[in-house]
Amino acid sequence: MASNVKQYKAIGEELWKGRSEKINAELFALTYGALVVQLIQDYEDYDEVNKQLEKMGYNIGTRLIEDFLARSGMGRCSDFREVGEVIAKVGFKTFLNITPGVVHALPPSPTPNRQSNPTPSQPSFTLTLDENPLTEFVELPEDALEGGLWFSNVLCGVIRGALEMVQMQVQAEFVSDVLRGDESSEIRVKLVKYLEEEVPVGDD
Amino acid sequence: MSHHLFLLSPSDTPLYSLTHQSTKPAPAVASPLAANLPTWSTSAFAGTLTALSGASSATQQSTSGPTRVGGGQDRHDVMRKDSGMYLKAVDKFNEWTVSAFVTPGNMKFLLLHEAKNDDGIRSFFMEVWELYVKTLVNPFHSAHTPVRSGVFDSRVRASAKKYL
Repeated sequence: MASNVKQYKAIGEELWKGRSEKINAELFALTYGALVVQLIQDYEDYDEVNKQLEKMGYNIGTRLIEDFLARSGMGRCSDFREVGEVIAKVGFKTFLNITPGVVHALPPSPTPNRQSNPTPSQPSFTLTLDENPLTEFVELPEDALEGGLWFSNVLCGVIRGALEMVQMQVQAEFVSDVLRGDESSEIRVKLVKYLEEEVPVGDD
Repeated sequence: MSHHLFLLSPSDTPLYSLTHQSTKPAPAVASPLAANLPTWSTSAFAGTLTALSGASSATQQSTSGPTRVGGGQDRHDVMRKDSGMYLKAVDKFNEWTVSAFVTPGNMKFLLLHEAKNDDGIRSFFMEVWELYVKTLVNPFHSAHTPVRSGVFDSRVRASAKKYL
């Protein structure tokens, strides 16, 4: 397992270095910031803004996965744990040049007497972002804080979109955000189900 | 010894103000002037302000092409001189000296103070400028609106403590 992690880090590093088109980080942060502010002005409801950001991310993710798989040449992940590692060490590294920490929460092996914690029936992992290029200069105003805005919600959408294209339906959401005054920024990704390949109707 | 800082937009709207009590030893000036600090609209201080803005950019109102370029040139000449942004003491009001700093974006910073402290004030202005630029890049801040950032406020206070 440990050697895999190192491998992924190395792959991620190589992919990042190999990319010929990089964008200025300030420009990127300013563009995204302007986008969020415009959405807030248009929708005037922070929940709706969160949804829109997630939708936009979803659209990005469904396409990004192709680019990612083409460049990295990675094969299928063996289990959900590996999915988490690859996303953090290779995915985020390739596109944002950051490596969030991963903490896995897999369902424990069935023990009939366990009543204390509600055991998660599905595996999940939590990505901890120590740095976030989207929020370089951002300070949330009072009403955004109260309204429940997740500034970088687009990232959750990207994860959901990308994984859906590789037959995994997941739920990705922010659980804490440094912009909101929390200690760290965390995204929890929970597997809902594996998607079956659907046979097209009328294909005899 | 206290200081009063004002940040003004190009249209002379006050965007930020701060009163700072210095802990540094001051020359014995025992005047209860804090009480006398003029309110914004009602004093010759405002007159100084207009004079200052007139000096720095003669084209506040005009929008026609040639005149505008002319006015802009004046201001840019001021800027291009080495640290020409810091205008030192531009006026005296009662016992307060008014020092000014004009940024390339035509923002004006004014500091009212009693004692002479050119170097400290210049460094203070430079730091306030940097902090102001950082606030400007925050997508939630619209240009030329009052600065409400708590982070900006605490950092300016810390900087005031350091230099004044």
